Amino acid sequence: MSDGAPGTAGAGEPAVEATRISKSFGGVNALEQASFSARFGEVHALVGENGAGKSTMIKILGGRLRQDAGELHIKGRLAALHSPLDAHKFGVRTVFQELTLLPGMSVSENLLLNHEPRGAFGLINRRATDQKADALLADLGIHHIDPRALIEDISLAARQVVEIVRAISQDPDILFLDEPTSSLVEREAQWLFGHMRRLREAGKCVIFTSHRWAEIAGVCNRISIFRNGRDVGSFDEIDEDEAITLMTGRRLDSYFPARTEYTPAAPLLETRELSGRGLHDVSLSVAPGEIVGVGGLAGQGHRELFFTLFGADKATSGEIRIGGVAKAIRSPRDAIRAGIALVPEDRKSEGLLLPMPVRDNLTLAILPRIARLGVLPLGLERKLTSRIVDALKVRTPNVRNAVGNLSGGNQQKVLIGRWLLAEPSVFLLYDVTRGVDVATKREIYDLILRLAAENRAVLFYSSDAEELAHLSHRVLVMREGAVVSQLHNPGLSAEDVVSAAMKATLAS
Amino acid sequence: MQADRNQASLRASRSAHWIGRNIGLLLVFAILAAAIVLYCAIYFVQQNTLPGNFELTSTVNNTMPLAMSGLGQAIVILTRGIDLSVGGIMDFTNALAAIHMQDNPLSMVVWTAVVLGAGALGGLLNGLLVGYGRLQPILVTLATLSIFQGVALRVLPEPGGAIPPRYTAALVNTDQPYALLYVLAAALLWMALRRARIGVALFAVGNDEQSARAHGVDVVRTKVIAYTLSGLLAAAGGLCLAANATAGDATSGNGFTLTSIVAVVLGGISLFGGRGNMIGALAGAFVTTMIVNILFFAHIDPLYQSFYEGLFLIIAVVLGAALGGLLKRGRG
Amino acid sequence: MSATEPTEQPMAETRSRGLRISKDNWRIVYAFLAAILLFVTGEFVHPGFASLGSIESILTIASFVGLAAAGQTFVILIGGIDLSSPWVLNGAAILMATSSLGQDGRSLYALALTLGMGALAGAANGVGIAFFGAPAVVMTLAMNGIMEGLTLGASSGMTCASCASYAPPIVQAAVHGTFLGVPLALYLWLAVIVIVSFALSFTRFGRNVYAIGNNSLASYLAGVNVRATTVILYMLSGIFSALAGIALVGFGGQASLGMGNPYLFQSIAAVVIGGVYILGGRGHYLGAVAGSVSLVTLVSVLMTVNMPEYGRSIIYGAAILVLLLLYGREQEEA
Repeated sequence: MSDGAPGTAGAGEPAVEATRISKSFGGVNALEQASFSARFGEVHALVGENGAGKSTMIKILGGRLRQDAGELHIKGRLAALHSPLDAHKFGVRTVFQELTLLPGMSVSENLLLNHEPRGAFGLINRRATDQKADALLADLGIHHIDPRALIEDISLAARQVVEIVRAISQDPDILFLDEPTSSLVEREAQWLFGHMRRLREAGKCVIFTSHRWAEIAGVCNRISIFRNGRDVGSFDEIDEDEAITLMTGRRLDSYFPARTEYTPAAPLLETRELSGRGLHDVSLSVAPGEIVGVGGLAGQGHRELFFTLFGADKATSGEIRIGGVAKAIRSPRDAIRAGIALVPEDRKSEGLLLPMPVRDNLTLAILPRIARLGVLPLGLERKLTSRIVDALKVRTPNVRNAVGNLSGGNQQKVLIGRWLLAEPSVFLLYDVTRGVDVATKREIYDLILRLAAENRAVLFYSSDAEELAHLSHRVLVMREGAVVSQLHNPGLSAEDVVSAAMKATLAS
Repeated sequence: MQADRNQASLRASRSAHWIGRNIGLLLVFAILAAAIVLYCAIYFVQQNTLPGNFELTSTVNNTMPLAMSGLGQAIVILTRGIDLSVGGIMDFTNALAAIHMQDNPLSMVVWTAVVLGAGALGGLLNGLLVGYGRLQPILVTLATLSIFQGVALRVLPEPGGAIPPRYTAALVNTDQPYALLYVLAAALLWMALRRARIGVALFAVGNDEQSARAHGVDVVRTKVIAYTLSGLLAAAGGLCLAANATAGDATSGNGFTLTSIVAVVLGGISLFGGRGNMIGALAGAFVTTMIVNILFFAHIDPLYQSFYEGLFLIIAVVLGAALGGLLKRGRG
Repeated sequence: MSATEPTEQPMAETRSRGLRISKDNWRIVYAFLAAILLFVTGEFVHPGFASLGSIESILTIASFVGLAAAGQTFVILIGGIDLSSPWVLNGAAILMATSSLGQDGRSLYALALTLGMGALAGAANGVGIAFFGAPAVVMTLAMNGIMEGLTLGASSGMTCASCASYAPPIVQAAVHGTFLGVPLALYLWLAVIVIVSFALSFTRFGRNVYAIGNNSLASYLAGVNVRATTVILYMLSGIFSALAGIALVGFGGQASLGMGNPYLFQSIAAVVIGGVYILGGRGHYLGAVAGSVSLVTLVSVLMTVNMPEYGRSIIYGAAILVLLLLYGREQEEA
């Protein structure tokens, strides 16, 4: 499919070369004279903190953005890309972080967009389209996705798979993957890595970004590190700590902070046989100062549990007790009043108001408390928000800056800051370190421990078993909306958590 | 979960998927059927006989302007836009036809072409402003509505002109419901369009412009085509309007701006774009006419007609949403 | 940006450095500039156009559009729209006349009844949209039909006994009278401007409105009562439409059928020209005020040069297009 481009080069030949690329958005330099190159026959990882510029570099190389300065060479030829389609002409395919699927159309329509099999009068043959899509999926080892299903009806992980299948099925010479595993479960991630290795062996070039070191180390044979919009080195081999030092510019030792002890006391958060849609008779308790993790395979009811606890999903039976007192929690407002806070997973669609100032985002949940007769206390607001921005080290020129201008990690901090301001007694954290860079993750871990130290009850869900194992006092394993087992620290390892999750699924 | 599927289950699920995607269409046809039944019942009670050819023909003819403009509106709404200038285009096309069309075949053919062309041009203007100008559709078409209304007034300051009876007979024949053939033709044309590259492009743009662009869809061209088609269809509606009325009126198209949107909504098409079967708009137009017929034969005070139409619209929309929600929950 | 330890100094409490006008606020400035430009053009074309008396009468007419635009601003800010404005306005005008029967004594009662009707219609819109998930376009369009039907039916097509009533003299005076040389109608509008602007910029309610307009799910999850706020906003829109109807019947003396129709598209155009983002979340009523003045001035200029109706229509539309092209374009997503 690489018409017009020079013939496929052999392994070792340069595939892409980005030379001294600069790109800025509204005065913020995403890339400053950054260079990057990758060769055929390799799987190349591009790593760095959020805001380091990796996504921007990939968007430029994939034709989604145009650089302000610098040159691109693809397959040795100078490339001026005005759209992803220009990149396609070079045999480049990209799976961007923001999926480019059409939600109201089916999987097969998405996979074969503009390449649908035609029938009489040159009109699209629907049946053939579905069959071809089915074949495409099967060829790549995917059997659980119905090509007729609408994109909006399938899970996020399935959508990611479809996007990946679409890119790979077009037989690219160069494949970019920006955070491809962020929504995938383990099995699907392994499937992807299998294809990445296959492409490497066929002499293609695969470039991907990830925040998970295990993936990077396992599958790539070259790593480039970005920091603050610049490239800081490319290596065939490097160990994790060294890489983290380069990524963050400072030494970060032992990833996880030490757990604090808590004195057993009457539970602060308690549920008795809480049920709702997708939730079955969940009874749990969290004491003040205790950190309880919730694990299990993806989609086993974690979201329903957290949203029901927060009043965003309806509970059909059972009760929720805060500090021993049963509370009727029928909306997030009720939950907030009862002293519960929920930091949701998708900060862009569920958490933040991107065009609005940092200040407005921070105080949204406490407005009822601080408003005087309905009027906003602007002076007090400024004080409160400046203080929390300093405390959390949010990088923003001032509190009136639109939160959409901040990097991902800083946005996450603003979201957490909103809830810190609400001073809840119960903190619900839903996958808050997803898509967050190493340094910010560490800050969030410290924060979680500090919350516990302040005698709050912390219930958190993470898709990262390491986090669950190291940060929690206890881990509850969920399956199909119910808590099926419980693991205790000390002595818990990530493997324990994962195997408990798998066992829970198999046992039935 | 990870079960392998075979050909049989592939076939079995196809009808389920089709139903899921076209639930709006099924619903509007159900409503249409119910409306027809109710109408027949009320008519029977009044006249002791079932409605006949005359009623059918006049219903079809009365629906033609709305059906054409509704289909055009549906295509624009599919791309996540809206066309408020529909009424204005119908104004100046019916005025143009009434003034210029003479009672000879050449004149009729030529002026049909000119009028359709004029409507398409109006739509093209909208499309260029929305597509290239990147202006919001509601605002552009709000402005062009004003412009087109002005043009209509210039063409025909006072109601007048006449459409030759032969033309009326050809377009909206008063003896037989031949106009249904035009409806059928429009429906077939849409179905062909749907399976052509432009059809896919329309849906893609309505779903997610950025994604569509990233996959080679010419978003600007698609939008231009959508609005041009809407203008063309509105012009067809204007011709039907003139043919029905046998005289021209530069303001008779005004109401169609909003009623074309009603036809689209009744047709089960999402106002957010990217989904739905555009044929629903044709059915929605017929439902609208049926409601008027029912109200008439039920001797509802005509002054209250808008009230019942409004009430019906709310009920239809709320019911449709409730049903859609139930179905999603059932499948999910 | 250095790679060393993040800055240790606490962030200074920043005050606005000078007059930092955001892009959204520039639109409001442009809209006012457009109005001024139109006045200048009018004076140039027809000396005397920009005389005090003429300006006052133009502003008075603009105030009616401005009242309708206030309601529209509220609902557009949360991404909605109110297509029921025409017949709520018309119904209010007729109700005002028929329930007051032209008597001052009954005016308070009539006022309460009329505003209450507007609130009720608006609340119905809000409930349909917030609780039943009806799209705003559909719900308010339907409500427009309902109000039209009720108004026509209840007044028997404006042939009822009390339909020829005038608005109470006190209401007429409130619109026509002057205080310190300035028409009272403008004081009313000024009061509305101050209240609405204050509500949007400085109250918790206003903050919630912007939050919902930007992301209703996130707002809900932050404890904002999205549904209640939506209902209130549509109720306010109904009240403002009714208020415009009252002002109009006070101005014209009698009600007529169809008097509300021009105000729909005018109020929407005014809001948008004033920089309010049609999809919600950005913009301010001050912009709609500027937009109202610009539009009415434009029409006045055209009438002053004796432009026939068709020409007025065409130029009006063309002018809106020009304004939109100048600053109504979508921003290129980075």
